[in-house]
Amino acid sequence: MTNLINRAKELLENGTVKVVIGYEAGPTGLARPAFITDPAKAGKLIYDDRCVQNLAVYLTKAEVKNLGKMAIVSTLPVMRSIMMLISEHQVMGDNIVVLGISTEKELLDIADIGVMKGYIEKCDLRNPEKDRETLAMLNALTPAERFAWWQKEMEKCIKCYACRQACPMCYCIRCTVEVNQPQWIPVQANPHGSTEWHILRAMHLAGRCISCGECGRACPVGIPCHLLTMQLADQVNNYFHVHAGTSDNMTSVLSTYEPNDKESFII
Amino acid sequence: MSDFEPKVVAFVCNWCTYAGADLTGTSRIKYASNVKIIRFPCTGRIDFMLLLKAFANGADGIIVSGCHPNDCHYTSGNFHAKRRWIMFKELMDFMGIDMNRITFSWVSAAEGARWADVVNSTVTRIRELGPYVSYKELVNKSVEEEVKND
Amino acid sequence: MARIGVFVCHCGENISATVDCGKVAETIGKLKHVALSTEYKYMCSDPGQTLIKEAIKEHNLTGVVVSACSPRMHEPTFRKACAEGGLNPFLCEMANLREHCSWVHEKNELTTEKAIDIVRTQVEKVKLNSALQPIKVPVTKTAMVIGGGIAGIQSALDIANCGHKVIMIERSPSIGGHMSQLSETFPTLDCSQCILTPRMVEVAQHPNITLYTYAEVESVEGFIGNFKVKVRKKAKSLDEKACTGCGLCTTKCPQKKIPNEFEQGMGMRPAIYVPFPQAVPNRPVIDKEHCTYYLKGKCKICEIVCPTKAIRFDQPDEILELEIGAIVVATGFDIKHADFFPEYGYGRYKDIIDGLQFERLASASGPTSGAILRPSDGKVPKNIVFIACAGSRDPAKGIAYCSKICCMYTAKHAMLYKHKVHEGKAHVFYMDIRSGGKNYDEFVRRAIEEDHVNYIRGRVSTIFERDGKLFVKGVDTLLGAMPVEIEADMVVLATAGVANSGAEDLAQKLHVSYDSHKFFAEAHPKLKPVETNTAGIFLAGACQNPKDIPDSVSQASGAAVKVAALFSQSELTREPLVAVVNRTSPPLYSTCVACGMCKPVCPYQAIELEEFKARDGRVVKKAARINEGLCQGCGTCVAVCRSKSIDLLGYSNNQVYAEVVALLNDY
Repeated sequence: MTNLINRAKELLENGTVKVVIGYEAGPTGLARPAFITDPAKAGKLIYDDRCVQNLAVYLTKAEVKNLGKMAIVSTLPVMRSIMMLISEHQVMGDNIVVLGISTEKELLDIADIGVMKGYIEKCDLRNPEKDRETLAMLNALTPAERFAWWQKEMEKCIKCYACRQACPMCYCIRCTVEVNQPQWIPVQANPHGSTEWHILRAMHLAGRCISCGECGRACPVGIPCHLLTMQLADQVNNYFHVHAGTSDNMTSVLSTYEPNDKESFII
Repeated sequence: MSDFEPKVVAFVCNWCTYAGADLTGTSRIKYASNVKIIRFPCTGRIDFMLLLKAFANGADGIIVSGCHPNDCHYTSGNFHAKRRWIMFKELMDFMGIDMNRITFSWVSAAEGARWADVVNSTVTRIRELGPYVSYKELVNKSVEEEVKND
Repeated sequence: MARIGVFVCHCGENISATVDCGKVAETIGKLKHVALSTEYKYMCSDPGQTLIKEAIKEHNLTGVVVSACSPRMHEPTFRKACAEGGLNPFLCEMANLREHCSWVHEKNELTTEKAIDIVRTQVEKVKLNSALQPIKVPVTKTAMVIGGGIAGIQSALDIANCGHKVIMIERSPSIGGHMSQLSETFPTLDCSQCILTPRMVEVAQHPNITLYTYAEVESVEGFIGNFKVKVRKKAKSLDEKACTGCGLCTTKCPQKKIPNEFEQGMGMRPAIYVPFPQAVPNRPVIDKEHCTYYLKGKCKICEIVCPTKAIRFDQPDEILELEIGAIVVATGFDIKHADFFPEYGYGRYKDIIDGLQFERLASASGPTSGAILRPSDGKVPKNIVFIACAGSRDPAKGIAYCSKICCMYTAKHAMLYKHKVHEGKAHVFYMDIRSGGKNYDEFVRRAIEEDHVNYIRGRVSTIFERDGKLFVKGVDTLLGAMPVEIEADMVVLATAGVANSGAEDLAQKLHVSYDSHKFFAEAHPKLKPVETNTAGIFLAGACQNPKDIPDSVSQASGAAVKVAALFSQSELTREPLVAVVNRTSPPLYSTCVACGMCKPVCPYQAIELEEFKARDGRVVKKAARINEGLCQGCGTCVAVCRSKSIDLLGYSNNQVYAEVVALLNDY
């Protein structure tokens, strides 16, 4: 942590970056995002088990972006998010300094995007273990049981779109749910509207989800909606042998193809 | 359920399956009248949300059909569609939404008889499955809630 | 307020025999916004069309639905009728009651109900149609032909003879291509140079053709009718205007041991050279890689001997920026050099040569003045073996496809040999003889029957040399795979035809697709063999796949007609059914966030990211933009756009959504 603070301070002092995005302890003791612009305040930065949020979501926010060059405390999901955001032209690689954090909570020396790519390649890119277990449990159910399971979850949805807001990949300035010509998704938080919203969200993240689980964590009513995108992340790797967020030059699996893509259901 | 007439919507591309269905007509091959066709320039144009809209509006079954791989009028629209349907199918399966209600097929402009087969087998299958109660319930429950709230 | 007119056609009895047309018209007439719903026996007849035209005026219609046959049949007819009636043609839709209903179902209520559903769907769609105007794209009436072989020459001459300007680019110092290297041509055995050189001269002298040799395409931007092409004119180290082509420099150049490309390495050339005597233009270039002056800084003998002082050692490459309306790609092919077949010993044994080398040996202007002499000792080979399919039709070691021309040229080679060496023996190993074409099979029969060429059906497993003889070991499959061994003085390998070097690079510059063998890909294998998937770029000759001369010439003329058709009008009119990315006022500019997902899905490279700049030049926004000159309206980009910022005119989100709703709900 001292390393992290020193590095942040140094970057701010020598003017390399204008802001450091990291975590600080909030008044209740929970970790919350911090945006440090004053080197004297770099000491507020923390990194421990409480720091779970995917900070990459702030990289595309105008309020943060407009401050100038950014440094960002980056665990693996954040790094993978950055790769996706560069690939999708939302941020520029040379505008970001990555303060990489290893799984052992050590500060990594990520000099540039190339180094980050090398680091990511060596990591376990599968979904987190706990989620893999839940996914396996769900995949073992019958379709009818899965339908019932999900419908029970969907009933809770209040359509607050926290899942969308928390996701670094949901950066559109206008979401499909805000389109009313035609009204693609019913506005109401009802079984129909909620189900279609979650289908839409998962499809839009197919091949783009980097398995951070932030959407599920952000859900105020506890819908494990991250399982939807994680299931697709699994399938993307299964069918197309791709893990999202492994390079700064990724083309989305849904905007490319191989003539011999395998499937078994088209007659 | 013997008098159940399933409603089946077919989303087809203009250049292959629509033309193939035209050929079914010119060949006077009969098929079930439950299916109604919506024409798209290409399977690549077919938004997955439209399939959900069809179910929400009462469809019991859906056919999505276009040019065989390598035959796309626009060279690659069907390949993109294929990837889209792979993902869509996986997601629907995972959410327990019945993919037996959707037929994905490639029917060329020369396959008039095949189009009739695709329609008839789909209609037969949907007839066995019965009305798509669970999706209709989703919508109905929602409508009820709305009425209650009003 | 929409005022829709619906016209239900009986199509004689084709529709009315199974569908109750009266009920359809009546039910639809009760729908909101339907101003008129009527039926008629033959809508496509003159009176039928007049009915529509009059109704448009009388009822002030804002949309028309003709419920008749397939739109693939009569949509243009009825759209034209609407236009004549004063309604924008894109406000007319067709409901397919014949092919998709009356012809495929029994006569019953369900069929009529389905017909009503179909018509209702189109009524709801047409309400959301917008009046579209055809897209006009200006056309620069100058064509560029890339490649100066026979295909490029033919295309250029045809286009130029239509009265259009042509710029021809050739990367080597002379036009002529592979055809200029050939000795005789099948199946007539007329001399290749004799029929080609007049065409080459015609290109050079044609008032409409500008020829740039020793030049390559640097970059291509723009779209059909409006390409901007940068061409690198490589420095020839020569003032072409001052040079008279006397050739003195080429005889005095001290550097004389450079393998001659034109002779396929079977002869030598100096560093300042004209590739062959009939070259067009007949001016030398200095090969900088081998010139003593460029290598060592001194020599300049050519400069000293030049009577017109035309040598320019300090000449730089020149970049030409050209405005081009259409491009014909005619970059030709190459042959696979046989070194990939180690068991055949090419490169190891001097007397194993490839087909093009044999052409040079047999050519009257070649290194042996047309005498068939083996490279090792200059003796006349008494026994010669030709191996067809050396690499072709061999997915394991060579290429999977048939190179098409080898069967014919192998027969020609065997014949030429027999005509020159009467006592000699010619053997041909082959897999199948593919001699489809006018007088082609007769030609092969002549080789076998009149010139007594020994055709052996089977493959050669190995060739080895012993005591100055080449031992060719193979099997004769027509004799039950009996082993065959021939003692040969010379072996000619008909190696596979492959894509020319640099084809992939050029395809990428042109944004044209190419196949796994790096051959340029046509837009449609059957119906658009000359077009590429990039509008305004056409293919001619063997750059698409190996072709013989008549095929190349035919395709070249085909490509020329495509160009001439494009140039026949000063503006190109395109169907307005294209995709558009929305635009709004600043600071939003568009709901598009420039994620770029749509860009790779476009088969026509019609999507680019547009930058919006503030007054100080800062880029404040990026958004996708679709070039309506390139878009073909497939709509794949529309379906992948997450923010629904792209829509397809004619099949808009609103329209298709309304169709789904209308199809499934009675009103």
